[in-house]
Amino acid sequence: MEWEILLENVLNALAAGITIGCIYGLMCVGLSLIFGIMRVVNFAQGDLLMLGAYAAFYLVAAWGVLAFLGPEVAPFAGAILAGPIVFAVGWLLHRWIVARVSGLRTVASLDEGHFGQLIVTLGIALILQNGGLILFGSMPRAVRTPLSSSAWMVETGIGDATIFLNKARVISGLAAILVVVALYWLLERTRLGKALRAAADNPTAATYMGIDVDRAHRIAFALGSGITAVAGGLVASYLSFTPFMGLDFVVIMYAGVVLGGMGSLLGAFWGGLTIGFVQQISALVLPPQLQNAAIFVVFLLIVVLRPQGLFGRSAERA
Amino acid sequence: MLDIEDFSVAYGGLRALSGVSLSVGEGQLVAIVGPNGAGKSTLFKAISGIVPPVSGSIRLDGRDLLSVPPARRPHLGIAHVPEGRQVFKTLTVRENIEMGAYTEAGRARFAQTLERIHELFPILYERAGQLAGTLSGGEQQMLAIARGLASAPRLLMLDEPSMGLAPAVADMIFERISQIHREDGLTILLVEQRVAEALELCDRGYVLETGRIVLDGPFQTLINDDRVRRAYLGLGD
Repeated sequence: MEWEILLENVLNALAAGITIGCIYGLMCVGLSLIFGIMRVVNFAQGDLLMLGAYAAFYLVAAWGVLAFLGPEVAPFAGAILAGPIVFAVGWLLHRWIVARVSGLRTVASLDEGHFGQLIVTLGIALILQNGGLILFGSMPRAVRTPLSSSAWMVETGIGDATIFLNKARVISGLAAILVVVALYWLLERTRLGKALRAAADNPTAATYMGIDVDRAHRIAFALGSGITAVAGGLVASYLSFTPFMGLDFVVIMYAGVVLGGMGSLLGAFWGGLTIGFVQQISALVLPPQLQNAAIFVVFLLIVVLRPQGLFGRSAERA
Repeated sequence: MLDIEDFSVAYGGLRALSGVSLSVGEGQLVAIVGPNGAGKSTLFKAISGIVPPVSGSIRLDGRDLLSVPPARRPHLGIAHVPEGRQVFKTLTVRENIEMGAYTEAGRARFAQTLERIHELFPILYERAGQLAGTLSGGEQQMLAIARGLASAPRLLMLDEPSMGLAPAVADMIFERISQIHREDGLTILLVEQRVAEALELCDRGYVLETGRIVLDGPFQTLINDDRVRRAYLGLGD
């Protein structure tokens, strides 16, 4: 029957939207963490995602360090391990470059250092993209797993309508949720997390408490880099990529973060989830080339109707 | 305990402090009074390392403080309760106090200091789970002082604790400061515009005007000085 096919299509788009949305949510959380704590808009976030994808690729496929785990487990272990690897990259990027245009030294300056930050993070983005081209080559890569071409089938009980859950995406989505929960716990419950929030809230007062604000920023930048990199590693399990993949995803990340409200972590996750949803649902009615256009229509609607974001507080931190 | 000698600070060529010398002894309550813009807050910021010096020295127990990075200074026992309170608005009351106890000493003694804080300011116990930004001005001031106490400091620096508070609330804050000084024997450096109250509390006072110390001495000397009586206390000859 017609409506059963329609129902099946809608349900499958919803399921795909949720799983992909969780991964988008994770990458948005990384960007949001850096903005929320450092007030730095990081234009290189998409390229840190790319580094995460290549880290997973080298660990699992090229060097096969994780091959012993088998093709079902290795891609996801690789994605998680991409986190600490890119955490270290983020740490060094901050130590050598970003710290020079951010932190306590710029809090008091007229533009809060935003011009410098814009130029520097754009520069890092270009260096990572082209450096990636030299090191990794332009050939599209993928982290192959048999799970990306198999699905769990869920009978809906309504006629013959069945939901196909792509195994790679479901596991990726669950891993993303796990990482977000762990980060949330870190920020809310641990001494380090509270110190990071205090440094974000009032850098001067945090210094009076004995919190090293520049170090807090370094941790935040590294954590944000690592988290987006895990999302990159997860993307790599179902999508082929090149060193320029960051350009596609940075758009999704910015849309998601603004959607959820700048600086709100859970908001960023919901924002990313919403983007995933819109993208997949729009696939039902629009040709694939227009999926990103659909994202922007929703994005513009929200900016017009609710400029503080879905979860943002408009008056928070002038 | 704290010795400041011939200390000068400038903002872009403009002298904010020139040749300030001041000392705070163990267990003393020292007050710095003076009009707006005299450099009182600048002095505190310099002690905390937020403002760089031009010349002079600051020593804590004989140790050169200026060579210690700002974020390490609280760990040496200096607690700065800043002007305008500066509580962490997006953190809860309890989390603010925990951040006060970020120092090693504060963490080691957290249970006792928390009990003492709740004894001094019971309202903070009632509001423990509330975001600090939702507190009233008086409550935020109490929280700022509590946060300072939580670091288990050796020297508590209070910058204008009565600023912007209703008279009754300000009186209560002064009462608590006096109590902390008397009962806990804490060394306190207090900056105040409410000169009468500040001088009444202190063992020793300094009058700071346009970046210079124009007068200093024990409480009786200051309170009986004609200039202080006329300019700050509103008393005639």
